[in-house]
Amino acid sequence: MIKARHLRLLLGAPAVVLIFVFMILPITNMVEMSFRVPGTVEPFGDDYTLMHYTRVFGDSFYWGILARSLLTAGSVALLCLIVSYPIAWHLSKASGLKAALLYALIASPLMTGVLVRNFGWMIVTALNGPLNETLIGLGIISQPLRLLFTQGLVIVALVHVFVPFMVLPINNALRNIPDNLVEASVSMGASRYRVFRDIILPLSFPGIQPGLILVYVLAVAAYVTPALLGGQMVTYMPTMIIAELTGTFRWPLGSALAIMLSLSTILVVGLFTMLTWRLMERARA
Amino acid sequence: MATVDVKNLCKRYDDFVALDGVSIAARSGELVTLLGPSGCGKSTTLRCLAGFLEPDGGEMAVDGQSILATPSNRRGFGVVFQNYALFPHMTVAENIGYGLRLRKCSGSEITTRVHDVMSLVKLTGLEHRMPREISGGQQQRVALARALVLKPKLLLLDEPLANLDARLRDEVRWLIRDLQQQSGITAFYVTHDQSEAMAISDMVAVMKKGRVAQFATPREIYQKPVERYVADFTGEANFLSCRSLEACGEGRMRISVGGAELDVDCVPSLEPGEAAELLLRPESLQLATLGEDVTFRGRIVKSAFLGASQHCEIALADGGVLKLTTAPNAPVRIGDEVGIVVDRSHAWLMPEGTK
Repeated sequence: MIKARHLRLLLGAPAVVLIFVFMILPITNMVEMSFRVPGTVEPFGDDYTLMHYTRVFGDSFYWGILARSLLTAGSVALLCLIVSYPIAWHLSKASGLKAALLYALIASPLMTGVLVRNFGWMIVTALNGPLNETLIGLGIISQPLRLLFTQGLVIVALVHVFVPFMVLPINNALRNIPDNLVEASVSMGASRYRVFRDIILPLSFPGIQPGLILVYVLAVAAYVTPALLGGQMVTYMPTMIIAELTGTFRWPLGSALAIMLSLSTILVVGLFTMLTWRLMERARA
Repeated sequence: MATVDVKNLCKRYDDFVALDGVSIAARSGELVTLLGPSGCGKSTTLRCLAGFLEPDGGEMAVDGQSILATPSNRRGFGVVFQNYALFPHMTVAENIGYGLRLRKCSGSEITTRVHDVMSLVKLTGLEHRMPREISGGQQQRVALARALVLKPKLLLLDEPLANLDARLRDEVRWLIRDLQQQSGITAFYVTHDQSEAMAISDMVAVMKKGRVAQFATPREIYQKPVERYVADFTGEANFLSCRSLEACGEGRMRISVGGAELDVDCVPSLEPGEAAELLLRPESLQLATLGEDVTFRGRIVKSAFLGASQHCEIALADGGVLKLTTAPNAPVRIGDEVGIVVDRSHAWLMPEGTK
């Protein structure tokens, strides 16, 4: 006999099938591939080996690139937080038309295609591009700056596009802080700084934590922006993995690198979550 | 210990006048209640005192010194909010000690003072709980302790009992009054509950549309209101329109009402001949038994048995209606003709006003 409860479970079936076919299967497939021997005609051979992992984990070249990827993503997340917090603050105080307008402005980086956005950055920051010309015209610099194909530009461009992912959760958390908590602390003698440090900041942490995690994960996995704005000089894990997969056709090696990146990201996020556990627990009113 | 002087306070939002010249004063150690319906300006007045709002005009002084230019965090007032406003990410003890930490008190001093005030409000043992883990009544006592621990010059309470159920309300109300009297802190108390206001105040300011309708002791507010609005807001009231005939000395006036002539106390500014209204509280009316001096005659039109007492409404010959409460043991029947005895010393004559 089929009970109503079973029918309800059936509602989840499409999602389960989707996740299984497009996430579980490919990842299993990739894990398996990372243990295959390199092939000569096909992407990989029939036998199994640990050689890709010994190579990946034994080579400081790969560790260096992993470190750069993780550090870059970390800087993007932190810069994003610094840029987004004041925006989230204003948004949380806005209502009506002003709020709608702010929401639209904040989401604007996401409304531009990824290629258009990055080619835009390339044009703006080129040696003889408008940014350099303006700076020279204003007499601030005499020689054009090499901005394009630098790590700095990659970070700035990623911060730009990920701001919405930081602003929205923080805005949510700030909106949940009742005004009279601020009044209460002021009446007890708190300065603006102490109100921010003691009340606003800890109570907005339930927005800060997911924002940081979200932006970090997105930045670690970003491919198009580092590929276009980082140029050939600056390699990140995603660009290198794609190069292995589509350039040299070493799929097992590429898979091992992808797994190295995934594991280290999971580790970082897990560690961060554990370290901030107490802060979250306290703020979850 | 502080005296407070609020003079002619004004505040407007666009075209809404929130405060239209509010003047109130508190002597040292007094509890002054701001009483009125929502939108009357009572909370606005309190928020101006607390420094959360800046008045557009008027003066506020504590111990003779203007506080207008003093920012909220330097006023040294304790504020207790309707929804407690406890910091959800701090334990009970941290909430109470927060103001002391801001004042850079030593750790041991904070511990002692927090401990002392917690036993004062009977919260001992809850130090390490989070606010969400304790009951509403306990939360409000934490809020009270948090304000009192700083020994404020002035305690401001904004409907502190509104979110509590009836039984707790009584308990916390007396706690507030006891603590206020023990510590001798001058306090302003905002409420829309007249019985609460009566019970704990030294002085009551009944507010109406951004103004103070009457500022007096609870007894005066109840027994000698200056206008019908005040009488209505402070309890059950009967009003009979009447004509004032002549002054008869000592602030008394002879009036003609419902076919009778009475000498009653009246609002001092009332002139003979003016249209007036007679206030008769239900408790100053009695159904006549044989041989008593009957003032009015009427017929019972409504009655309700309440157990400890019974309510009835009596229609007078001239169309007026009187509500009164009688002892429960003699049944009253609708349609009965009755005589009513008025306690003349507690009848009160006011100018006929807008409702």
